[in-house]
Amino acid sequence: MATIDERSAPTVTDRNYRQVGQGQNVVEHEAVEGPCIWLDTPDDVIEFVTGPDVEDTIVISRSGSTTFVAPALTAGVKGLITLEGTKECHLGIVSREFGIPCVMSVAFTEGVTTPQGDTVPADGTVLRLECAAMPNAAVLVKGA
Amino acid sequence: MGAAEDFAKYLDQYLGEVPDGPAGDLEMRKRLPVASIVDTSDESVLRDSLADDEIDSWTGYMAWNLWELLAKRATEGASGLIPRQEYETISFVHMWATFPQLIRELTKELGAEGIVRLGATPRREFSTQVNVTRHFGTPMCTLVGRGIAVNLGLDKATNRREDVETMVQFCRRLQHGAWGGGPGFVSGRGFKSAVLEPDIVNGLLADETRLDDPDLRTAFKKFNAATELFGFLMHYDCRAGLCDSGPYEVPGGGFMIVRDHQLYEPAFPWGHIGEGLPWSVTQAMVYRPTEPIDVKINDISTTFTNPTDYHKHLSGIAVYARDTWDTPMSEVRRLDADELVAITERVKKATLELYKDIAAKDRDRKIRDGILVYSTILMMPYARTVPGLRAHFLDNGFYDLDELAEAAWPTLTGGDAAATLAPVFILGQGFPSVAG
Repeated sequence: MATIDERSAPTVTDRNYRQVGQGQNVVEHEAVEGPCIWLDTPDDVIEFVTGPDVEDTIVISRSGSTTFVAPALTAGVKGLITLEGTKECHLGIVSREFGIPCVMSVAFTEGVTTPQGDTVPADGTVLRLECAAMPNAAVLVKGA
Repeated sequence: MGAAEDFAKYLDQYLGEVPDGPAGDLEMRKRLPVASIVDTSDESVLRDSLADDEIDSWTGYMAWNLWELLAKRATEGASGLIPRQEYETISFVHMWATFPQLIRELTKELGAEGIVRLGATPRREFSTQVNVTRHFGTPMCTLVGRGIAVNLGLDKATNRREDVETMVQFCRRLQHGAWGGGPGFVSGRGFKSAVLEPDIVNGLLADETRLDDPDLRTAFKKFNAATELFGFLMHYDCRAGLCDSGPYEVPGGGFMIVRDHQLYEPAFPWGHIGEGLPWSVTQAMVYRPTEPIDVKINDISTTFTNPTDYHKHLSGIAVYARDTWDTPMSEVRRLDADELVAITERVKKATLELYKDIAAKDRDRKIRDGILVYSTILMMPYARTVPGLRAHFLDNGFYDLDELAEAAWPTLTGGDAAATLAPVFILGQGFPSVAG
């Protein structure tokens, strides 16, 4: 598993939000906020990118591989979260070149459990990516 | 220490001892019995035979280099779309079974000096597949295939010594052509891959268009990202369609990266999805940073920088299209802003179309497609420089999966693959000694 540098963990100062995850920040970017969707299969990806609200959505996928989320990147999603991978992965390189905020190797502290046993926020949960600084970013949800 | 900490130690340093980067190159040279073998000279690349300790020194360095490439990506996880680890490793075994003989046939046609001249191609050309990536990748993948076969018990380290020798010298001849002597690996050149000759570099700089127009900056940013992603997908989740060279010094300060994205490969059965796109595009990207930036390019021609976001310092560009693989350099054409936008839009549609095409295939088909990608892109760019040789290879079963690869298939596509491959890629066991 990729490691997170705890010494530089971002802190949550806004009482309207609480932190539900933290990971490696790939792109220095102002904070973004939007509903999330968990994409588990290629069919999920195809259905998502051919549907509405693509550019307003933060995508969550397991892998740090580029090709799985390729159409989501070209469609210009608002943000990307992965459960695996590091910023040196090709997905890190490409998301940086698209300028899409990307946080990798996030371990969520709350959410729903996927059939594979991963914990991720439920689809539609509004997430905020605090990704303005390196090396880490925080994933927040609204509510104390 | 737990297993996770143990593994992390081996990701942090090669064998838990040797660092990455230029310091690792120096440390490896100290450890090799014959360190000079990772350099090239007119005399040493023309030799047909190497001593055991020369071969083992060279492959020992390669083992560190491979770790250097992969360790930080080791936690990437499975693609979910393409079973890349499976197809790559079977490809490697297939290449070990077949490529050394094909390289001998190529060498018979061109001679050792002709291979050196072939290796010099990226000094004068961009948007070419005869590039630094392949000079490294073709021999490396073939020799890793040997390591996998030995680790699986399908081959012995002492078998086919002459085939190891063939691949090592093939690589060294290509390296010698590219660099003209001295360190053969980019990792031995301070991780700088400035292979283009000065007059070519000056021509690119003379074509620079400054990115003062925010619309042009945005259009180029989308073009760069979308074509990179499509090139990656076209080549089945591997970087063989991408190649960076540089950094080249820019008069007045700054640096230039020259980047190829190969988009339309008719040799692939799914290549038609890229029809209408140039075979390859090249981006000369000029950066004039306002802060110190350390630029590192590795042997598979991937750029890493510290700090990581170097694109915010992009100052100017020149973009070119090479419409087919054999378009002469004199006919490589510049792309204007309208063409950047048009290609980006075409690529976005093609990306979804190709994604759907791949997603609809079953796992075995994807693995066989991936093997076809590696076989094609790591051999044919060299073979097609000799009239008739590509056709000769095809007529003699080039795409028939070798029985050694078939024997490796059950393990490499099954649940035990990771346990087999971690020692090969991370623990340096991919290059067993030819002395046994």
